[in-house]
Amino acid sequence: MKYVLTAAAVLVLTTCVAAQEMGVPDEWRVRAQDRGSDAGGAIEVRWSPHPDEHLIVAYVVLRTTAPGVPWDTVVSLARGTREFVDETVSDGVEYYYQVVAVATPAPAALDSLATPAPAPAPLYLWSEPVQSSGQWFNWGRLNQFVIGGIISAAIILFIAAAKSGRKLFVRRIAVLEAVDEAIGRATEMGRPILFIPGIQDMDNVQTIAGLTILARVAKTVADYETTLNVPVSRSLVMTTARESLREAYLAAGRPDAYNDDMVHYLTDEQFGYVAAVDGIMVREKPATCFYMGAFYAESLIMAETGSAIGAIQIAGTAQPAQLPFFVAACDYTLIGEELFAASAYLSGEPKQMGSLKGQDVGKGMAMVAVIVGAGLLTLSSLLPDVHFIARAAEFVGRLFQVN
Amino acid sequence: MVFSDWLSLQVAALLTLGIVSFLYKDNPFYKICESIFLGISAGYWFVVLFWENMVPKLYDNIALMTSDPVTGAGVPRVLYVIALILGIMMLMRLFPKLGWLSRWPLSVVVGATAGLWFLTYLNSNALVQLRATLLPIVAFAAIRSGEGTGLVSWFGKYLGNLTIIIGTVTGLIYFYFSKEHRGVFGQTARIGIYFLMVTFGASFGYTVMSRMSLLIGRIDFLITEWWPSVTAGWM
Amino acid sequence: MTFADRILTIDRRWIFLVVAVALTVPFFLNVTCKSRVSPEVRTLFAAVEALRPNSKVLISFDYDPASEPELNPMAEAFLKFAFTRRLKLIMLGLWPQGPLEVDRNLARVFEDEQIRALDLQYGIDYVNLGYQSGNEFAIQGMGASIHNVFPADVRGTPTGDIPIMQDVQNFSNIDFVFNLSAGYPGTVEWVQVAADRFGVTLGAGNTAVQAPLAYPYLGAGQLTGLLGGMKGGAEFEELTGFEGKATKYMVSQTAAHLVVILFIVVGNAAFFATQRRARKLGGDA
Repeated sequence: MKYVLTAAAVLVLTTCVAAQEMGVPDEWRVRAQDRGSDAGGAIEVRWSPHPDEHLIVAYVVLRTTAPGVPWDTVVSLARGTREFVDETVSDGVEYYYQVVAVATPAPAALDSLATPAPAPAPLYLWSEPVQSSGQWFNWGRLNQFVIGGIISAAIILFIAAAKSGRKLFVRRIAVLEAVDEAIGRATEMGRPILFIPGIQDMDNVQTIAGLTILARVAKTVADYETTLNVPVSRSLVMTTARESLREAYLAAGRPDAYNDDMVHYLTDEQFGYVAAVDGIMVREKPATCFYMGAFYAESLIMAETGSAIGAIQIAGTAQPAQLPFFVAACDYTLIGEELFAASAYLSGEPKQMGSLKGQDVGKGMAMVAVIVGAGLLTLSSLLPDVHFIARAAEFVGRLFQVN
Repeated sequence: MVFSDWLSLQVAALLTLGIVSFLYKDNPFYKICESIFLGISAGYWFVVLFWENMVPKLYDNIALMTSDPVTGAGVPRVLYVIALILGIMMLMRLFPKLGWLSRWPLSVVVGATAGLWFLTYLNSNALVQLRATLLPIVAFAAIRSGEGTGLVSWFGKYLGNLTIIIGTVTGLIYFYFSKEHRGVFGQTARIGIYFLMVTFGASFGYTVMSRMSLLIGRIDFLITEWWPSVTAGWM
Repeated sequence: MTFADRILTIDRRWIFLVVAVALTVPFFLNVTCKSRVSPEVRTLFAAVEALRPNSKVLISFDYDPASEPELNPMAEAFLKFAFTRRLKLIMLGLWPQGPLEVDRNLARVFEDEQIRALDLQYGIDYVNLGYQSGNEFAIQGMGASIHNVFPADVRGTPTGDIPIMQDVQNFSNIDFVFNLSAGYPGTVEWVQVAADRFGVTLGAGNTAVQAPLAYPYLGAGQLTGLLGGMKGGAEFEELTGFEGKATKYMVSQTAAHLVVILFIVVGNAAFFATQRRARKLGGDA
């Protein structure tokens, strides 16, 4: 340590923001400033390379809170470093910074230098103090703000339009046409229909979509007088599903056919629930099974059992990891966002319709960006001398910059 | 091997064999193992939630109080008292007449989660992914500089870019709901669904690998740990 | 009944039996299976290899005993490699069983004489900070202060008193993060919060089920490298030179995959044969 300090005393240049005013060579300067667009608690310290950097092994950043107060060592950095962010500062406190160039020359190097370093500059120079502070807006994330804002605005506008009674177009979802066919088959066979609304609670939007589809299924089931069985794994889902079914049967003009036992709670435990559902499948042999909602590892177990009993199976989930199993084991599958689209299509509910349409705006923007971006990059690659194409391609890339 | 270790190995092996026996057919041995598993997992999670959440995050911060850095006196943290009140309101769903109170804490949870995840998903799953899709269909500059000289690597690289771009755009078209899938638009969406199916196939393959790995782990346990303990007994 | 019909109506228990035999027999054979190292494994290896001695590496064990066969070989190889590179390891878990997995893996790693010879000290060379609930919110909190999220280690020592943690405030003092993930919370959350929000350099080891979800992040550069399932573990073992259970298990894995492929081919051939016959009969009628 002594050796380091002795060597530091030999080759030390210290400066600060206003260093040049104090007579320190222009080429060796330190600048300290509050880091912009952050939550506070950080000061950026930057310095120019020492004129004799080849003689240096490290830069040591020192900090103090007032003239005359002893300097604290903040960090020691390797030669070649030009900046450091001090994240150990408190907002509103004044700090002064020094960067000390430290030389610990090897004995051979010392021998070869009659004067190992330039004349030391004044040691106790400091700038106007610097303070850290937080900012309300991160300008580095302006693109995220604009893109997020456009999508949010589109959603809000479409919801407002739907609420005002304007008819919003959503394309036909092919799988929904199979629903009536599957219910009809169960009726012909005189066997029940099983509906699983996922294993998540009402705070999951997939469960809500699943229950919307349940209401649509229930209306047809009420018309056909088929038995419907809805085992659930959450108490809140049970309450909501019962409410949906009661309304659906009422709307179909068959309130007498409804009873609370159609929806029954099994257990919250994932594999306990799936074991019980499998038992129901094997015992009751439903002709049609619906799986609509959020599923995890139980998806394949249920779909496989349903396939083994020969049921027509229609599934829908937005869990990417579970989709392959449903696609493989079920007759029809609503893939990802199709589940929400089907729910919006069937319910016509303004919030669901508005969200779906608003997201379409985002998808449209993404498609245009990919096509335009890829085109510009290809052109830029083909015509490297046409600079405006390269700049345009760079601009499109920057639109999606995150960090 | 001491008796307690020996016994735990025998229990683990019996439970493994009991669960696997379901592959032959449903049987009482399987049902016993399943019930043990359910009971233990429910109890385990109760203990974890109690000791990792209720005690350190609620009880310690309210009942034990925390020391005020200036006066040294114990002061309950106000924010945790609010959390306690919201927690109690959540439990009101147990009482039908007061059930409406549970909507307030639920609103806090939904609002906070939506706020955090809106930006997170926009960044990680949309913007960064889109940026990674901005690729030259054919990078003439790279070709001129002699990159990817081998025919396979050349095609791999540039057809790879094209595949990513086509897959992304056609996938987005498939999930575009504001236009009917007819004509060219419908054909493009159809290409999108082929891309999705290939993805599902890859995912399914990985799952097969994962499930086989778990079974290998159990077989390894039975062969290298359990069977030697059966033959050697305990000391 | 034709052969094709018989194949399509085969009792699935025969399939289970054949797969079980394919998995078990290699345990009694003295054969090994070399894997071709994939680029995502190589980049992870290169990123760790490039770290200077004494660099701080944070490892999050986000899995439970159910995923041990896939993730323990990765954990073991990573720990051994990192220790021999003289990296400082800060370990934790966002799953309650994570800290238990840390201890179990450390116990196996310290059975290796090469590692024991390094004379590694708890608190100086490595630490187990334990479990913290809160999932992605815990990761978010660590971006501001690891000490606040983990006030004490698994032994109850205040984090501020642990030598390895003295100059670690938040992610900006961490040189590399390695996440072993079997689900939620896991790699997806580490990418979304730690990598994309705080800019940490992140590598991951995933169960094979999780791996396809992580690949898009690899392509976009949000992940430095990825070990996917047992194969990823075996490749990493090969690169590091610490061959362990993943390499050993790959023979069984390969045999089982061959059986599955065979069943898929035979099953599909039988399916199309019956379809063709049905069409033909329909045409005749």
